[in-house]
Amino acid sequence: MSGASETAALDSPAPRRTFWSAALMPWLLMSPALLIAIAFFGLPILFMGRMSFNAHIDQRFYVPDFTWDNYAAMLTDPTFRNAIWTTARLALISSIATVIIGYAFAMLVWLKPKRWRLAFVALALCPLLISEISIIFGWWMFFPKNGLLSYALVSSGLITDKISLMYTEFAAFVGLTYVTLPFCFFILLSIFDGIDKKVLEASADLGAAPLRTFHEVLLPLTKGGIAAAFAQSFIWAVGTYATPSALGPDTLWTIGYLIQEQMLGKHNWPRAAAFSIVLTVGVAIVMMIIRMLSSKRTALNG
Amino acid sequence: MADTSALELDRLRRAFGGVVAVDDVSIDVKRGEFVTLLGPSGSGKTSTLRLIGGFEKPDAGAIRINGGRVDHLPAYQRDTATIFQTGALFPHKTVAENVAYGLRMRGVARADIAPRVRQALDIVRLAGFEERYPAQMSGGQKQRVALARSMVVRPAILLFDEPLSALDLSLRLQLRAEIKRLHDEIGFSAIYVTHDQGEAMAMSSRVAVMRSGRIEQIDRPEKVFGEPASEFVYTFIGESCCLKTQMASGAAADADGATIDLRLANGLADGDWRLYVRPSRLQIDRADLDNRLKARLDFTEFLGDVHRYHFKAGRIELFVDHQGAIAHRPGDLVDIGWRSADMVAYR
Ligand SMILES: Nc1ncnc2c1ncn2[C@@H]1O[C@H](COP(=O)(O)OP(=O)(O)OP(=O)(O)O)[C@@H](O)[C@H]1O
Ligand SMILES: [Mg+2]
Repeated sequence: MSGASETAALDSPAPRRTFWSAALMPWLLMSPALLIAIAFFGLPILFMGRMSFNAHIDQRFYVPDFTWDNYAAMLTDPTFRNAIWTTARLALISSIATVIIGYAFAMLVWLKPKRWRLAFVALALCPLLISEISIIFGWWMFFPKNGLLSYALVSSGLITDKISLMYTEFAAFVGLTYVTLPFCFFILLSIFDGIDKKVLEASADLGAAPLRTFHEVLLPLTKGGIAAAFAQSFIWAVGTYATPSALGPDTLWTIGYLIQEQMLGKHNWPRAAAFSIVLTVGVAIVMMIIRMLSSKRTALNG
Repeated sequence: MADTSALELDRLRRAFGGVVAVDDVSIDVKRGEFVTLLGPSGSGKTSTLRLIGGFEKPDAGAIRINGGRVDHLPAYQRDTATIFQTGALFPHKTVAENVAYGLRMRGVARADIAPRVRQALDIVRLAGFEERYPAQMSGGQKQRVALARSMVVRPAILLFDEPLSALDLSLRLQLRAEIKRLHDEIGFSAIYVTHDQGEAMAMSSRVAVMRSGRIEQIDRPEKVFGEPASEFVYTFIGESCCLKTQMASGAAADADGATIDLRLANGLADGDWRLYVRPSRLQIDRADLDNRLKARLDFTEFLGDVHRYHFKAGRIELFVDHQGAIAHRPGDLVDIGWRSADMVAYR
């Protein structure tokens, strides 16, 4: 190894290229992506950060100022503390469910012969083609007392009286899971596709029963994908507002709900911005934890 | 029980849809024997191996390992170990962990694993590579890890599925010699699948030539080469020239009916024949041999060790491997001779 890197080091630096152009090169190459990232992600967050320090006086959207009031208010506001807990719980449970279902589904598609694949992929694409609002209308026909679910349960004899699951936390959870599932599925499928199926046979061949093979081979090889799929489901579930508030009970106050209430109901832009910043930072911290947990040994670096 | 076979296949059969991939295959591998399955693409070699390894279920027939029926057992309960074409190493495990895997799965005591792994890596000459990941190894090294990983569990039979076909020629020859050396030293029992006859001839105790799911001949390499059981075996193993001739009352003609100047020591009955001779057994300017054919020199190829002279006689094309130059130019009519023992005729 050391021999190879020495020779590489000997003939790589072109003598005429200056230090500066060599140092700039990576940045130049990244600049289109960087520009887009700054313009579309960096600047809005910057504006939002600034907004969160403004004051809210006399029903005006905001008054330029520099105050910590909005953050201080959050610490004392039990509604906000409850909302953090509600949001985290809902996002966590639905992300876990998404990853488990998505994992099983992706593994199935990966293991099945190629000719089934198109049908499964098309199936997974369907929810992506329909807008979130339409999907919510769909759930409105599914969960109520006279909806499809109730009808199916009664006619299959599982229950005797019609039930309504509409406006329950369960409905919100199902709705969230449904929205995040397709993304999760495609992330995991791409990870599975990178694995040589022969390693499963090799494992069985060496004496590992199927569960052992899963634990020793498949799980470690897909760990990075699980983390990525979980992360994206979690971000989505934390941030989305329409599905949980349309399907959940009136008391299901997620941070997303509070932000929209401040923004549209109370016209308090600085407070809404402060909520958003806290949400963003919270998500960033969770992402970093996930990265740290999953980056020890994955298919990519080992 | 000392004389038990390592592996017995008894009238094994497996069909995929309408394709019979393995058709009535019976093989008896003695302990320490190295049997090669040789055949063209699609002849059922891999399918046979997968049946033995437990990755496919046979439609009919029996598989016995060390005398015990195994065809109802799943792959992970069979005492076999496969070396896959692509190696199929675990990419997230180090070389040492890869080699230790089978031992761990078989419940070998922790203290015994390390020395056995070290010994196995020594045997395949990879000592010092323990901590590397497969991605950091060359193709040849990976195959040697795969070999160590399978051998270390000391299975009743090792199954090789074209383990060298993804490597370049020099590496292939080197590893081939190494596998042969290991077999001579350790004496494992093995079934080795290949479509490379050189590999089959060089390594095997016995060669089974397969064709559309059936075994055409199974015998020692010299026998398969020297006394092929069928036209297929003859043409599949080694190079050969085919003389398609029509015999009519002693006179010979090519497939179109044009007369050719062919003299045979033993006359053939009237009808269509296919005569085969190996190019190395054909001799130029030898009208004195038992059999001979007058043919026109077409063109010459230089193959390194020998020249290959291509001839035509009517529709018949043949080529002769000859060391050094000959005194003829393209277009000349030349006498080509061969001994009766070097010829086979099929109709
Ligand atoms: N899983 C399968 N499904 C359907 N047909 C199969 C399957 N496996 C093998 N076959 C068919 O069985 C026949 C034998 O295949 P097999 O892979 O055993 O050939 P092979 O001798 O190993 O060929 P190669 O040298 O190309 O590897 C082929 O016609 C193949 O198409
Ligand atoms: Mg094959």
